[in-house]
Amino acid sequence: MDSEKGSRILLVEDEESLAVGLEYNLTSEGYEVTRAGDGRQALEILKKQTFDLIVLDVMLPYNDGFEVAEIIREDSPQLPILMLTARTASRDRIHGLEAGADDYLTKPFHLKELLLRIQGMLKRSQWYQELSRENPVFRFGKNEVNFENLICTNGRQKFRLTAHEAIILKYLIHHKGKIVSRKELLEKVWNVRSDVETRTIDNFIARLRKYFEPVPKKPIYFKSVRAAGYLFSDQ
Amino acid sequence: MIRPHSFIYHIFIFVLAQIAWLVLLGIWIYRYVSNYIIFSKVDDRLSAQILSEGRNVFILVGGLILLVMVSLAMSLLFHRLIMQFNLTRLYDNFIANITHELKSPLASIQLSLETLSLHKLPRSQQQEFISMMLRDSCRLNYLINSILEIPAIEHKKIAHNYRIFQIEPLIHELILEAREQFNLSGDRIRIEGGASCECVIDRDAFRIVLNNLIDNSIKYTTGPVHIVLTLNRFAKRFTLDFSDQGIGIPVEDQKRVFEKFFRIHDQNSPNVKGTGLGLYWVREIIRYHGGKISITSKGRGKGTTFHIELPLYPISKKRHIRNLLKIARKRQDKDSFDGQ
Repeated sequence: MDSEKGSRILLVEDEESLAVGLEYNLTSEGYEVTRAGDGRQALEILKKQTFDLIVLDVMLPYNDGFEVAEIIREDSPQLPILMLTARTASRDRIHGLEAGADDYLTKPFHLKELLLRIQGMLKRSQWYQELSRENPVFRFGKNEVNFENLICTNGRQKFRLTAHEAIILKYLIHHKGKIVSRKELLEKVWNVRSDVETRTIDNFIARLRKYFEPVPKKPIYFKSVRAAGYLFSDQ
Repeated sequence: MIRPHSFIYHIFIFVLAQIAWLVLLGIWIYRYVSNYIIFSKVDDRLSAQILSEGRNVFILVGGLILLVMVSLAMSLLFHRLIMQFNLTRLYDNFIANITHELKSPLASIQLSLETLSLHKLPRSQQQEFISMMLRDSCRLNYLINSILEIPAIEHKKIAHNYRIFQIEPLIHELILEAREQFNLSGDRIRIEGGASCECVIDRDAFRIVLNNLIDNSIKYTTGPVHIVLTLNRFAKRFTLDFSDQGIGIPVEDQKRVFEKFFRIHDQNSPNVKGTGLGLYWVREIIRYHGGKISITSKGRGKGTTFHIELPLYPISKKRHIRNLLKIARKRQDKDSFDGQ
């Protein structure tokens, strides 16, 4: 059994038959599954129990998936959230990712794809937690990043990274001095195929530059390497 | 910051446009008056050549009428524009809801099929997945039919088989059917009062009305549902009060719930399923019958009462009822002709 097997998953889905099917398959994969039928119940369960991952439907009674994700992010910035929804519009996807989802899967989905994504998210989360335990605080220049609570300072202000921004930053720091391609970031951090739009990566890097670079247009920490990718340097 | 799609934004633009028009009007009047004063000061001989009083008054009045008409046309245009925006927003809501409603059972069926093909399940579990798939396909079928029936509603074709019914036994009959369909035991739904009278009704369409109201009550009640139907007969009308103890409807939304595609987005709502068509159908069907429907709710958690009124046969709305029976006869004749 892989290390992520036995992980605790909170499944928040109001469609009874879909929830039954998902619970069966996730349990068969070796995960411990707890089910919630609406947003309010999910938040109540989260107050009492801890989980390694949340599979969260968007259209839920009481609190919808976006609200649940936002509330979760206030206390658990690192808890991986996989949003499951029938909505396919890109604005919904962006809304989901902004609310704090780490990944987004549209209905109807293939079971194998869902299981692979869950596996990938759990692996990333474990990798991130292990590295964060070793070095919870990282400093470069005037910047300080706490990878446990995701709170950062850049000499001018204090702010909080999203889970995704933190994982990208962690990945770049872990590979400092080496060129990391967009393809690699997409595959390792997003766990998606590299033929997916790579502009998403550029947007994230632009955000990191805005947070940490003294002059974002002339980066010294997050350098672009033409036709190759990005290079992090803490010097 | 005002959002570009908000109602206030349109009002804001409209007010700005009106101010612009009024300023233009002001400038125009000011110019006219100041010219008039200047011209009055010029030699009488010259002014007689320049000014022609009658024509100028005609131009002023003509200009004012033109500006007022332009202003009215703009008001009308903005009114239509706001209506169009509201309709587009409701339509977007409908698309979002219907996408969710269609894709959720589809996702469930796909998941069940993949589960059955990936795992060797014992017979009982196989049966469970098959039952779920059947339920979901029934739900899909119902939804697709609902969407396909929108044009029928729009063209008043949903109700056509009008007949004269003793209303009280008919309601008892329809509720008995609903008990089975929604699996409601005796005390969950009961009929009070009585009404010994006749109404002209399309039985199938009226069943849609009652089923939609019952379905709504089930969806928006947090605990077990309790529905009471109170029947009454008045001089010229039959009334039916359909009450539940659900989460209620906020006062500001009570008029809008009958609008096409309208749905209330409320954190206290125990349900997110629906297309926003159910109560629209209910209102339209009642209207076709010459009746009316209204709603009262004392507030959150205090339930909802739908008040339905139907004209009595043969006392009330004679012309309308005659037309309904004529439609039914025509339909019957057409059906028997097609049958031959």
